[in-house]
Amino acid sequence: MVARVGKIGFLINPIAGMGGAVGLKGTDGLAVAARARGAKPLAAKRARACLHLLSREADLLFFTASGEMGEDELKECGLQYTVAYVAAEESSSQDTKLACRAFLENDVDLIIFCGGDGTARDVASSAGNHPILGIPAGVKMHSGVFAISPQAAAELALGFVRGELKARETEIVDVDEKLYRAGELQTWLYAIARAPYQPVLVQERKRIYVSVSEEEFKDQIALFAAEFMRDGSAYILGAGTTTARIAELLGLEKTLLGVDVIQEGKLLLKDASERDLLALLDKEKSVKVIVSPIGAQGFILGRGSQQISAAVLQRVGEENLIIVSTPHKLAELPQLLVDTGDEQMDATLAGKRMVVTGYRIAQRKDTAAASAPHI
Amino acid sequence: MKIKYLLDEEEIPKKWYNVAADMPTPLDPPLHPGTLKPLTAADMEMIFPKALIRQEMSTDRWIDIPEEVRDIYRLWRPTPLYRAAALEKALQTPAKIYYKYEGVSPAGSHKPNTAVPQAYYNMKEGIERLATETGAGQWGSALSLATCLFGLKCTVYMVRSSFDSKPYRKSAMRVWGADCFASPSDKTNFGRKILAEMPGTPGSLGIAISEAVEDAASHSDTNYALGSVLNHVLLHQTIEGLELKKQFDLADDYPDIMYGCCGGGSNFPGMVFPFIPDKMKDKKDLRLVACEPSACPSLTKGLYAYDFGDTAGMCPVLKMYTLGHDFIPPGIHAGGLRYHGDAPLLCNLVHDGLIEATALQQTEVFEAATLFARCEGIIPAPEAAHAIKPAIDEARRCKKTGEAKTIFISLTGHGHFDMAAYDAYNDGKLVDYEYPADLVKQSLAKLPKA
Repeated sequence: MVARVGKIGFLINPIAGMGGAVGLKGTDGLAVAARARGAKPLAAKRARACLHLLSREADLLFFTASGEMGEDELKECGLQYTVAYVAAEESSSQDTKLACRAFLENDVDLIIFCGGDGTARDVASSAGNHPILGIPAGVKMHSGVFAISPQAAAELALGFVRGELKARETEIVDVDEKLYRAGELQTWLYAIARAPYQPVLVQERKRIYVSVSEEEFKDQIALFAAEFMRDGSAYILGAGTTTARIAELLGLEKTLLGVDVIQEGKLLLKDASERDLLALLDKEKSVKVIVSPIGAQGFILGRGSQQISAAVLQRVGEENLIIVSTPHKLAELPQLLVDTGDEQMDATLAGKRMVVTGYRIAQRKDTAAASAPHI
Repeated sequence: MKIKYLLDEEEIPKKWYNVAADMPTPLDPPLHPGTLKPLTAADMEMIFPKALIRQEMSTDRWIDIPEEVRDIYRLWRPTPLYRAAALEKALQTPAKIYYKYEGVSPAGSHKPNTAVPQAYYNMKEGIERLATETGAGQWGSALSLATCLFGLKCTVYMVRSSFDSKPYRKSAMRVWGADCFASPSDKTNFGRKILAEMPGTPGSLGIAISEAVEDAASHSDTNYALGSVLNHVLLHQTIEGLELKKQFDLADDYPDIMYGCCGGGSNFPGMVFPFIPDKMKDKKDLRLVACEPSACPSLTKGLYAYDFGDTAGMCPVLKMYTLGHDFIPPGIHAGGLRYHGDAPLLCNLVHDGLIEATALQQTEVFEAATLFARCEGIIPAPEAAHAIKPAIDEARRCKKTGEAKTIFISLTGHGHFDMAAYDAYNDGKLVDYEYPADLVKQSLAKLPKA
């Protein structure tokens, strides 16, 4: 049997991660300043750690961008490649997007990129539904497309091109770097992307979940939610793919990155703002909220669903906050996080909370206020 | 301080106690799953021997134990009653803690108490093979042992999640000559149907029961055997409580509160039913507490109603506390407690307030089991550990109040096949499940009527 050749798009954001060491908290638009502060390229080193492992596999063909955007490191690692895109000398986010499009024209199986959340946004905006995988090299990596290390990225990529691993939907989130540099962490949900993932093979999950896919659990959650949502209440649905599955089951199209309101199987509000939700609360007697954890850190409130503000939650009541998540995602998170901008509300929501994880199944999960300095 | 209270072999009870004779409210009859009319003896003959059907329907207070069965009971009965002196010391409690240990049976649990008479009665009526289900593997092991001793064949459908996590249960069953298949299996129509619909399902007791019943109903030489829920199972298990009463006499003591784990109901009812007449007369303060997992809390969160005993709806419809026969509980480590309902006899007494119930999380249960093992030596089965946790809590309460209560723990078996579960606990990998009772109630309130 002739082994199938895996086609991989590969790019490096050469300036990713440079800001961290010099205290810039991200380099979006600040590459020159970073270099001026003496920052050294980190991304190339991280990319090499991944490529060394991939170079042991004979049947991989790379499509890449010229120079420090990929070509240099592939050459150094002795891998077979084609330059599919020639980048500008001082590469920018535009080069990332155009390179990805060039990879797709070459029918790659997977796009591997090396960078941070900003790079992930650019790659996802071009890749659409096409599987992507991040080698972590940025200052901040909140998106779910990153492997935990360059070595893990190599394992995931190989598993995926060999057909042993599947891709799943995950969120692309990014912090507002201007605010972040000012000491405030404000994350936004930008897109939903598909990324290969390895179910963690710990004993507990091995015997319960590995054979049952994450998608099946989303269906179970949606089925259960569709049943309990028949109580006449207006349901505010937060952003994300799990909540979107609920709407899908009800035959409604959910705003993936926004907040919708559903009542008795009908779409009441689409892409609602905080003001819309407060107006809804003036009208409706019973309003409940369904949210799911967003990104790699497990924010259920304050990230991706900022419309569901402290003022909204105050009036909904914490007893009417329903959290849903697949057990897979929950197992990857040490805890859930809330950051409503209101310390008192965060404190109220902190503690052990029930999370619906399947059909009539729930788990208890620690939930913490994100105001803690280590977040 | 005396540690062990032992009875002589000759003191093995000669009769089982039938609580149906003393219940304040008569038991609602089981219904035929097709007609929903009360089940007749003839309906049950397809899968059960006549002697067991008579026991199932009897309201006689005492039922003779056949000598052949007592002879086999002698292999491990009477089981010891221990005073948990080291645990008391560790807890610095004025309370007295006792536990009766059923793990001394060859199969390592209380389950042979009913497996042996069930195999015996089937053998007497010419049956050649028994089909059954098993959750944690305790019941499957016990029936494999019992059928082996009476020269019958045995087929065990083992819930997939346990089959994978406890491979040596299967090995033990093979030693005793039984066939053990992961359920859902490709051996039955129902198993094939579930596999087609949900290829990766961890399985459930409800599904495994359906497979075993289908196997028995479609083979004339084969009967079905159930390790919990049914009246005759609980009857056989009363041998534990009857011994226990004699042992408390030896200790010149009497319990204030009794804890036992409860899945479908077998050990706990068997241990406490012989105390029900006392509670109804002069021991009104005696507390009998059934301990269940919060992931599958039928007694504490279920609805008291008629429901199917199995997933396929082939078993009799029983009046019980139920989470719904279509509920597949998450794959917790106490596999033996993953049943959507509970024994009708037990539910009747819970409903009448004679028995109470409490629900516990996995992590706290394993924490208590570990403390117990470090004091008393025995590593408890995860199921049994559900009774240890609230007993320890009660002993700690006694420390605060200074009360010298007598606390009893029913220790159903050892956890030697459950080391993966203990590893998961020690590695911090246990998940605490919760049953979303309010949301389920909300979802059922407006279900479209069929």
